[in-house]
Amino acid sequence: MPRLDRLSQIARNNLLTFPAQVNDTAPFARPARSLAACRLAIVTTAGLHRRGDRLFTPGDQTYRMIASDTPTVEIIQSHTSIGFDRVPTMRDVNISFPIDRLRELIARGELGGLGPSCYSFMGAQREVARIESETGPEVGRRLRDEGVDVALITPT
Amino acid sequence: MLARALEQVGVSTTSISLVREHTEKVKPPRALFVPFPFGMAFGRPDDPELQHRVLRGALDLLAEPAGPVLRDFPLDLEPGDQPAAPPQASGITPAEQIPDDVAMETTQMRRYHERWLEKSGGRTHLGLTGIPAMRFRGVVRFLEGFADGQDIDMAERPPDTPLPNFIRYCADDLKTLYFEGHLAMKPAAGGEEIARWFWGETAAGRLLRRVRDRLDASTDPRWKAAAFGVAR
Repeated sequence: MPRLDRLSQIARNNLLTFPAQVNDTAPFARPARSLAACRLAIVTTAGLHRRGDRLFTPGDQTYRMIASDTPTVEIIQSHTSIGFDRVPTMRDVNISFPIDRLRELIARGELGGLGPSCYSFMGAQREVARIESETGPEVGRRLRDEGVDVALITPT
Repeated sequence: MLARALEQVGVSTTSISLVREHTEKVKPPRALFVPFPFGMAFGRPDDPELQHRVLRGALDLLAEPAGPVLRDFPLDLEPGDQPAAPPQASGITPAEQIPDDVAMETTQMRRYHERWLEKSGGRTHLGLTGIPAMRFRGVVRFLEGFADGQDIDMAERPPDTPLPNFIRYCADDLKTLYFEGHLAMKPAAGGEEIARWFWGETAAGRLLRRVRDRLDASTDPRWKAAAFGVAR
C-alpha cells in the first residue's frame, strides 16, 4: 500500500490524477565506493525540520537543513496533511527519517558515515518547477560539496 | 524528480516509493516500492528490525549496474493490519455525551502529555505555533472565539504567518497534544483508534469541527484550504 485497490475511491482518484512527471530514462551515477566507504545523507520529502526552524507551508518548494547530529527529539513535522497517519511519526521519527538505523549501520561498519547535513522538503507537491530547476540542484551541489556519495530519499 | 535532480549533479540516490504508479512514471534512478501506508515508509514505528530490512532493500539497489531500477519490497502487511489512511472527521459520528469544557479537558490532556514526554525521552511533535503546552488554554480560548465568529487574533501569531495558517498550526498542535497524550495512556493505539476517539469523544474534536465550519464558510481560498487541513 498504498496499493490503489485498497484505497477509497476519492483517495484512489486523487493519486491517479496526480500530475506526476513522465520520463523515459533516468540519469544514473554509480557510487564510486562500496557502501562501507560511502558517506550518506537523508533527503526527505516528509516536511520534517528542527523545532523552531521555519515551518513549511502548503506548496512550499524550499528546503530545510537538518544537521546529521540533531537529536531526534528536536525533529518535528510541519507537513500535517490529514491524508496520512501522523501517529507512526509521533511514535518513531525513524519511520520516515531513519537516522538511528543509519547510525547503527555505521557502528556495524556497513556504512562509511553520514554527511554533515540532511535535507528536507515538503511532500505532496503538485507544482515542482522550482524544486526541479533551483532548490533540488542546489541541494545536490551542497551534498556533493559536503562529500556525500549517496542520498537516501524518503517520503512521508 | 528530486532524485533525478541530485543524480544529475553526480550524487547517487536510492528512494523509497509509496505509490508504485507514480514511480513508474517519474523514473527515479533507483527506487524500492514498499507496500505500506502513507506515513509508514519504513514499515512500522518502533520496529528496528523491519526498518533495517527496508533500509537494506533500498541500499542494495546501489549495486545495480544500470537503471532506472524499481524493485518491490517482498513483504505485504496483511490487509486490515493497517488502514490506508486514518478515518476523517466526516466519517466519524460524535458521541451523544461529549464534555463541554475544552479548556478543562485540555488541561487534563496536558497531564497525560507530560507522561508521554517522560516515556518518550522528551520527543514530541508539538511546536508548530511555538506556544508551550502549559499555555494551551489560551490557544483553546482563541479557537473558541474564532469558531464563535469573533474578530480575534493571538499575539503569538508571527506577522508573516496569515491567520488561517496560524489557525491550522494551532489545530495541529492541539491534535498533537491529544494524540501523544492518548499514546501515553494506550501505547499500542493506532491512528484509526486515536482518530475515532478524538473526533468522536473529545470536546477538542468538536471545537475543531466548528473551527473548520467557519473557515469553510469563507469565500477566501486560503481559508478554505485551512479548513480542509483542520477537519475533513
